[in-house]
Amino acid sequence: MRPRAVALVAARELREAMRGRWFVAAAACFFVLSLGLALLGLAGAERSGLAGFDRTTASVANLALVFVPLVTLTLGGLGIAGELEDGSLALLLAQPLTRLEAYGGKYLGLLAAVTAAVCAGFGGTGVVVGWAAGGGRAAAYLALVGLTVLLAAATLGIGTLLSVLLRSRARVVGAAFTVWLALVYVSDLGTIGLAVARRLAPAQVFALAALNPVQQARVAATLVLSDRVDVLGPVGAWGEDTFGMTGLVAVLVGLLLAAAAGALVAGWMAFRKVPVT
Amino acid sequence: MIVARDLRLALDGHVILAGVSFDVARGEAVALVGPNGSGKTSVIRCLLGLVPFTGYAAIGGRDVVREPVAARVQVGYVPQRAAFGDARAAEPLAFVARLRGVDARRAVGLLDAVGLAAHAGERVRTFSGGMQQRLALAVALVGEPPVLLLDEPSASLDADGQRTFFDIVGRLRGRGQTLVLASHRAEEVESLTDRVVRLDRGRVAAPPAAKPVARIVPHAARRGGGRP
Repeated sequence: MRPRAVALVAARELREAMRGRWFVAAAACFFVLSLGLALLGLAGAERSGLAGFDRTTASVANLALVFVPLVTLTLGGLGIAGELEDGSLALLLAQPLTRLEAYGGKYLGLLAAVTAAVCAGFGGTGVVVGWAAGGGRAAAYLALVGLTVLLAAATLGIGTLLSVLLRSRARVVGAAFTVWLALVYVSDLGTIGLAVARRLAPAQVFALAALNPVQQARVAATLVLSDRVDVLGPVGAWGEDTFGMTGLVAVLVGLLLAAAAGALVAGWMAFRKVPVT
Repeated sequence: MIVARDLRLALDGHVILAGVSFDVARGEAVALVGPNGSGKTSVIRCLLGLVPFTGYAAIGGRDVVREPVAARVQVGYVPQRAAFGDARAAEPLAFVARLRGVDARRAVGLLDAVGLAAHAGERVRTFSGGMQQRLALAVALVGEPPVLLLDEPSASLDADGQRTFFDIVGRLRGRGQTLVLASHRAEEVESLTDRVVRLDRGRVAAPPAAKPVARIVPHAARRGGGRP
């Protein structure tokens, strides 16, 4: 694999993504919603104005865990399938580059665009909160933005895998929404239900949660927000006993990276043999 | 320059190619002809490594499966219908130039050769079908690849678009460009190619036919056109 070829494809993908409406829409959505949450953060206390970083981080974490997978699953899903359907993938792959370079470049370009949208949206809110309200741990807010990018890397990889497997925009959009529901809501309820019904041990519940990148990011975000693992219940206590506080965060970050890498490798294995017609 | 041996392709359980073999010598122009569904486009896709086929295909001595980059660096490709997303006209030229390690500014200069110099900054999606195909031809010429694969490039063009497009291709033939043209338009085949490979239901239907020498020089080349 030639890094220069990957970088060229990534730069082309980034340019096209940033030119598209979705980029502006996603960045604006992230900014408006996170700023809105920061403004509403003190409403419960019957006070007006911007909440500090701690409360904003908690609000933005919930927003990121729901919206970022939705955007990235759809975006990744439309990437390969869209270009297969309109014929531009054939033109790209007719150039002197390998499929691995094309696949890697397209993924990295899209990830760069999503990262830019997340940084512009949530970063914009961070700047406003820091300037107008201050207070709290700005580092935790930055860590959350980093976690959001990691989650985006994993779910973008899953979206790209769907794109390669289904090869049709219409099918991919439906599948992306189904996977989003499963990752964000169904998996959560399923894990709780299974834990109660089967009386699972904390280690088993942790293992179940570790299968889902959204859960990994959720637990990691909770640890970023609070250094007390008891907020995570017995599973958190088990995690701290087993890995230590820093180790637990490292394990979760590692799992997110592994989820991204696993989805990418699976997508690449499928993409190698996809007929480009 | 091009070797295709026993190309076989099946997609979704349907046999598309059932053992296609032919050679193309350097400087030769070969037409792949046959009815719709005969396998013309699939042969070109095999030569580009876009579909998983069995058999052997090589361009300039490079196996298109084992050495895809070395094989494709020798090829320019114009599809039936070019798609450039949301790009401006100059961008795909600059992108391909960088991929091929040639001067991007010189590559963008190819827009002049295909009559699109005035549209370099415009979005390709606002172009007519003919303009998009001419842009695809310019992209295919970046880096001066020795082989051009044209997959029914005029299928979606009106009469004027076809004439303009093939005048340019004719000038390329005049300087000895190796060419494989998939087409079912007799006029294109007559004016641009030296030899015909006739396909029918995924097989070569008859031995490759040589055409009279007088017919192989394209009209544009006879008018004295050089490299576009």
